[in-house]
Amino acid sequence: MRNKFPNSGNSQLFENSNSSMNRIKLYAVISLILIIVGSGISYWTSERIGFYTTALMETQDILQRTSELYASILERETNIRGYALTADSKFLTNYQQSLLDAESLLNKLKDLTKNNPEQQKNLDELEELINYRVETFKITIEYVEEHGDLVGFVNPSRVRNALSGYRTIKEVVKNIESEENRLFVEKNRSLLNNINALPFIVGLISLFSISVGFVTLLSIFHYNKVQKIASNRIKNYQDQLREQLYQLDDSNKELEQFAYVASHDLQEPLRKITAFSDLLKEQYSEILEGEGALYLDRITVASNRMRRLITDLLEYSRAGRITSEEEKEVDLNQIAENVLDDLEIAVHEKKAIIEIKELPTVLGKETEYRQVFQNLISNALKFSKPNEIPQVKVTCREATKNEVDNLKQLDPDLDYHKIEVEDNGIGFDSNYADKIFAIFQRLHGKEAYEGTGIGLSITKKIIEKNDGTIYAISEPGQGSKFIILLPVIKTLE
Amino acid sequence: MLVKKPINILIAEDDEDDKLLIIKAFQRTLPKENVICVADGEALLQYLNRIAPFDQVESYPLPDIILLDLNMPRKDGRTALAEIKSHDNFKKIPVIIFTTSNHKDDIEVTYKMGSNSYITKPGSFEGLVKVAKEIENYWSKTVMLPV
Repeated sequence: MRNKFPNSGNSQLFENSNSSMNRIKLYAVISLILIIVGSGISYWTSERIGFYTTALMETQDILQRTSELYASILERETNIRGYALTADSKFLTNYQQSLLDAESLLNKLKDLTKNNPEQQKNLDELEELINYRVETFKITIEYVEEHGDLVGFVNPSRVRNALSGYRTIKEVVKNIESEENRLFVEKNRSLLNNINALPFIVGLISLFSISVGFVTLLSIFHYNKVQKIASNRIKNYQDQLREQLYQLDDSNKELEQFAYVASHDLQEPLRKITAFSDLLKEQYSEILEGEGALYLDRITVASNRMRRLITDLLEYSRAGRITSEEEKEVDLNQIAENVLDDLEIAVHEKKAIIEIKELPTVLGKETEYRQVFQNLISNALKFSKPNEIPQVKVTCREATKNEVDNLKQLDPDLDYHKIEVEDNGIGFDSNYADKIFAIFQRLHGKEAYEGTGIGLSITKKIIEKNDGTIYAISEPGQGSKFIILLPVIKTLE
Repeated sequence: MLVKKPINILIAEDDEDDKLLIIKAFQRTLPKENVICVADGEALLQYLNRIAPFDQVESYPLPDIILLDLNMPRKDGRTALAEIKSHDNFKKIPVIIFTTSNHKDDIEVTYKMGSNSYITKPGSFEGLVKVAKEIENYWSKTVMLPV
């Protein structure tokens, strides 16, 4: 039967399906990486935004406090001026408190700007100026307390001093404020930059992720399509296989039918030919003249032979076929022993010496191996030399790697038993070494040796069905050797 | 000494040649009138039930044993065997399957159905005569049959 399975298309299909799967995996990994990187960048950007927001708030705080400080300095100036003019101590009610407040504000500002040396310098200068003013205020207050007013105290140099001191404080405060304003603008710009960049970054990453996701989706669709085609094809193959199984089953049934026809219908007329010949001979032999009786004998002999051929053909067609007998581990020692029992009479008649060494246990059917040994040993007895005691030797050893490799029919990965059945019989020309296994093939006339020539072909069929092989080595007059190789039963390790 | 009546044997065989040979073989041990032959399973049951053309009790006595071929037209041996073995009156009659088949399923099935012997038709006429003698000897001399 022709094999209908197209193999090449199949494997290509599976390769396609595999590469799509790999592509999908790759896309998934890329998506994951993009998402991780995107999340990282987004997190970093939002951290920056947080940082700049805090920094801006700090700058605003500094500005606020600076203006508070400046306001408190102005307030003190006003209060001192009021006190100096009126000597009314009401003006000094909050004076001490305002000094403490100014100090704490200044400290706070120093703390806030500790990373900015420019501002530190400004603040140091401011502190010095404030201290100088406070010193002046102190003298002023003492003078007023002593003299009741400040008229004698004021002189042009002091006025100039006061004015210049005041102006300088204003300038320093302005410096601080302008520095902070500069920083505010700078930080604000950075904040805006970050805020502006964020949607762009997120957008870009989203775009990438969406693209990759889309491609992945396409790949999955493609993969599914390929899978579907593959599974459809597999289903087709299954259907084909099932179809072929049915055909095989049918042809098996036909073969069985043939076997039945051969055994029943073909035998029927033969049986009758023999039976009527017998009757004819029995009742009319006396009146058969000349060669009449001889012809009648010929008819009987021919039909008997025909029957034998049909029986053997039937046996051959049945050999190695699926039967109800189960395959199991068969101990060939036991088989050989049984065969020797069966052949006892022939062995005794020929005074044959049969030596059977330790044989292995192999897989197969008992009745089949029995047939094998029956055929080989009885052949050895049949084709013995007329005036020599027949000797048959059955031995077994493990086949070497080389021996297995040299026999094409065998699986080089398996171990084999090598069983040899050797005799000292008439042997045969090695040119016929293959021919002897062919069905109904005989090397001798049927008058010399009886039989149809089916035994060895049945033997070969059985051995080959059990994944082994058989061949023969011989020379005329030198005896012959039949070699069987059968797989060693695999033990579970 | 009790002289036994020869047994009646009823043969169901469709093949004319076989019928001739079997009758010839049995007539070597039994009187002609004790060897009766019908063409198939259908005729066999008509005979047993005395349905026309076998409705005259005198000419068609109930047999002591039945020789049954398996492969016959109309009603084959298996069906005929089943009908005989399920009939109150006929099931006591020993049935010998006499066929060319030596298929083990045929042997197994017919014994399970209640056949009493299974004989494969011998190849030669001599063999046939021998079998006829053995059957006659066994069923009329060795064993006791129901009356």
